[in-house]
Amino acid sequence: MTTAEISPPTHPVAGLPKAREKMGRRFAYGFLILSIMPIVVGYSWIVVATLSFRTEGLLPRNAEGGIGGFTLSNWDFVTDGAIWNAMFNSLLIAVAMVFGVGIASTAGGYALSRMKFAGRKAFLSMTLVLHAFKAEMLLIAIFFVLRWLGDIPIIGNFVGFNSVGGVALVMIALELPLGIWLMKGFFDNLPWDMERAALIDGASRFRVWWQIMLPQVRPGLAALSLFTFIAGWNAYLVPFTFTIGTKVANMPVFLNQLISDTAPTNWNQVAAVGLFQMIPLLIFFIFTQELLLNIYAGGSKGS
Amino acid sequence: MTQSLEKETDTGVPAGDPTSQRSTLARRVRATATAYGFMGPAIVLVLLFFIVPGILLLVLSFTNLSSANFSDPWSYIGFDNFSRLFSDPFFPKILRNTAFYVFTTLIFFNLGLALVLALVTTNIPRRAGFFFRLVWLLPRLTPSVVYIMMWQRIGQADPFGIYNQIVPGFLGASGGNLFLGGSPWTFVILTNGFVGASFGMIIFTSALESIPKDLITAAKVDGASLWRIIRDIKLPLIKWPLLFIATYQTLSLLTSFEYILLLTEGGPGLFTTEVWALTAYKRAFSSYFGNSQWAFGATWAIVLVSVALVLAVGYVKLFKFNELIEEPRIENL
Amino acid sequence: MRVELDNLSKSWDGVVGADKITLDISDGDLVAFLGPSGCGKTTTLLMVAGIYKPSGGTISFDGRVVNEVAPKDRGIGMVFQSYALYPHMTVFGNISYPLRIQKLDKAVIKDRVQKVADMMGIGDLLDRKIAQLSGGQQQRVSLGRALVKEPQLLLFDEPLSNLDARLRLTMRGEIKRLQGDLGITSIYVTHDQVEAMTMADRIAVMSKGILQAYDVPEALYDRPKTLFVAGFVGNPPMNFLDIEVTRDNGEFRAKSESIDLILPQERAEKAAAVKGKVTMGLRPEDLNLAEGTSGHSGPTLSGVAETVEPLGREDLVGVGINGVEMRVLVDKTRGVRVGDNLDLQVDPSKIQLFDPVTENSLLWA
Repeated sequence: MTTAEISPPTHPVAGLPKAREKMGRRFAYGFLILSIMPIVVGYSWIVVATLSFRTEGLLPRNAEGGIGGFTLSNWDFVTDGAIWNAMFNSLLIAVAMVFGVGIASTAGGYALSRMKFAGRKAFLSMTLVLHAFKAEMLLIAIFFVLRWLGDIPIIGNFVGFNSVGGVALVMIALELPLGIWLMKGFFDNLPWDMERAALIDGASRFRVWWQIMLPQVRPGLAALSLFTFIAGWNAYLVPFTFTIGTKVANMPVFLNQLISDTAPTNWNQVAAVGLFQMIPLLIFFIFTQELLLNIYAGGSKGS
Repeated sequence: MTQSLEKETDTGVPAGDPTSQRSTLARRVRATATAYGFMGPAIVLVLLFFIVPGILLLVLSFTNLSSANFSDPWSYIGFDNFSRLFSDPFFPKILRNTAFYVFTTLIFFNLGLALVLALVTTNIPRRAGFFFRLVWLLPRLTPSVVYIMMWQRIGQADPFGIYNQIVPGFLGASGGNLFLGGSPWTFVILTNGFVGASFGMIIFTSALESIPKDLITAAKVDGASLWRIIRDIKLPLIKWPLLFIATYQTLSLLTSFEYILLLTEGGPGLFTTEVWALTAYKRAFSSYFGNSQWAFGATWAIVLVSVALVLAVGYVKLFKFNELIEEPRIENL
Repeated sequence: MRVELDNLSKSWDGVVGADKITLDISDGDLVAFLGPSGCGKTTTLLMVAGIYKPSGGTISFDGRVVNEVAPKDRGIGMVFQSYALYPHMTVFGNISYPLRIQKLDKAVIKDRVQKVADMMGIGDLLDRKIAQLSGGQQQRVSLGRALVKEPQLLLFDEPLSNLDARLRLTMRGEIKRLQGDLGITSIYVTHDQVEAMTMADRIAVMSKGILQAYDVPEALYDRPKTLFVAGFVGNPPMNFLDIEVTRDNGEFRAKSESIDLILPQERAEKAAAVKGKVTMGLRPEDLNLAEGTSGHSGPTLSGVAETVEPLGREDLVGVGINGVEMRVLVDKTRGVRVGDNLDLQVDPSKIQLFDPVTENSLLWA
């Protein structure tokens, strides 16, 4: 696309001389392309590296030091059980989060949006504050909560310290204030008359929630699910802090172990593992672009 | 006019003395119970992972609990941890680092670059703007470990580093490892900024796009230049989103440390890029000094948690989120 | 079912929605709650439905207080302005929903839904999605859903407000006919006084949370008890003039700077007791153009046509009488033009008189 072809339908720069406008455009594109260079370079490297024997900068090198050295051997890890175990753990955390955050947020968000009960105001204010509050600093104390949970007979084996369930539970809790706040917003937008009609038709509040209201917030729930899935899939700090060893490691932790535990690091293999774990994310990235931009705006999740 | 109860069968109204105090109370209890049933999972999780840890953190900071004396936990040692914290030789450095990290990242990336990106991408054709914003979203979507791996690879020493290959010797020592040698702060801020900027960018973009087109057209008719339109019309109109991002991201940067942990672990050397949140985490969890000092780590954490909590409450008040709260228009019977 | 409201009140943190509403609805009657938006009519209806909890007073169905009874146990059906249909269900799904909750036999449900749908004229639309229906069809589905559970009381919350004018006319007739045939006691909330007048057996006129009047439509029109009722009921609205009633030589006269009119004794006597100003009301349809000099007695007013609004059959003429404007309905064939000098004949038996302070009628209070 050259600047000459670009018609300005949305922002007609009326009154500006054509030449200046053209220069401004060039400057804008130049700036934007420069700004995304680190991202483009980073992704280019990972793609080149996974398919080559060795890289120097962005250039693939063969054993003799020349350009080339194409190989698929970096992907050999897919035949290794460890990666599939890590992937299974990642999937478990992500899916548990989708369900956990989904259920707790739609139920809690509904009650906070539509029901009158003692403590509603207090809960709402608390949700708001927790939503802005970053909980990373609580991890030290959550460590002890998880150890206690681990001491509970039977349940402890699934949700305690050094268990995938425990990691999932912590992740669910940390995403919950955001989830509740989002879902409450979606419920706030639904007409009251529909709910009143259902109550008069004989439905209980639970039935109203499940059969009438939930189907109306499906787009919101889908967005929240996508968001929590990505958060769960990418989770690093919480699983890294609360798990030991490879058996319970999820993909990011597994990858980090691969980087730090092997010396010298085989960067090309590491890159391949990294790209491998990004496959679902790249699929979302390609197919839900509009939704993603919206989620991260409404999600108010920054770092 | 409360009339005596007559047994009715054809109205579908169940018999039951409505005036009795007990039945009223029972209904009220049941209505509240229903609401708490919905709230149940959320309440349990918030209690277990926010309220209890918050209290625990405070309690811990007054003990000397560590992996060295785990057999004799919870012995009260008063404010020893706090005096130790403030007399720590590296305390001033960590404080300076934290302030530098938060403000530099905020000004140049999370606020500054975010605003520039939003302004530029809304002033070019729609689809092109969308494309660039989408690419900018990638870092946020990338798992932190992979993301940091990319930056490490960019900053690595010759012959592997990409930066050294493209522009040799521009930042710091030529050919050396940039994030562990030449300019660690540059890389710490770049890695955080490239994730942080996209949030502001998205928020500012939607704010800019909601400015009525008539306003811009009117300004153009008046002969205003692009720069004047931005300065006199657009910026004043997105004042609130700007303030929102500034406070939200301050809070966010203050407590986040994941990327620094992955990139430099606070190094190179002693506390070069160590921020407050990372110190708290490392004291408690890494056997940096051969011992997980949970209580001392908790002390660092509780100070930061208190600051974050005050900021969060202030932020909720500032943006009057409470006024968004509406009374439910169905009352439980 | 007989419905009684006794001192029914609703307030939220000091904001009054309904203030001590007391009225009695006979079995089988259709009662309209009429008033401008924010007058408390919907609030009252929602209390009857069990959606809002009364702050005070009682609601009784057939003599039994139902204040604490949940909406689903009140035996009511409700039709909403927004239709409030469930968009993710088909027409059948919507109408059958109350029955499915009762877990009735599938065949019974199918039979009853079909019957109601046929009655509503939407029997062939049962498989449609709600979004595929027109506004009128949606309102029929809504009505069908309310009727299918054979309620003892039907509640209508401005059901026709979202429909276009022609459809509104048709549906108005249909609802009235259906309600009459089925004999279900009904409450019909509306801000449209024509709807209330044509459909209701009795009308409760409300303003600012207070019940202004509760009577049969003709009585509200002929004998309005308050200034508000007089101004709200009737279209175009009643003209009001501030006058003083004096008595000269046994004759009662209404006097102001702009007019001087002889009042019939039976109407004026009560008003004469009031010292100072009195508000006089005259309906546009009770003022006629004088037919030349032909033997009409009674009071007349003279003025100039200032505005002429053709309404089709009639013209609504704004007549300026010494600085006061009166709206008058005039037969189109008279061909009144702006600037014409007009003599208006007042039907003395239709004059209304109000106390301007209490706003109560001096004739019917």
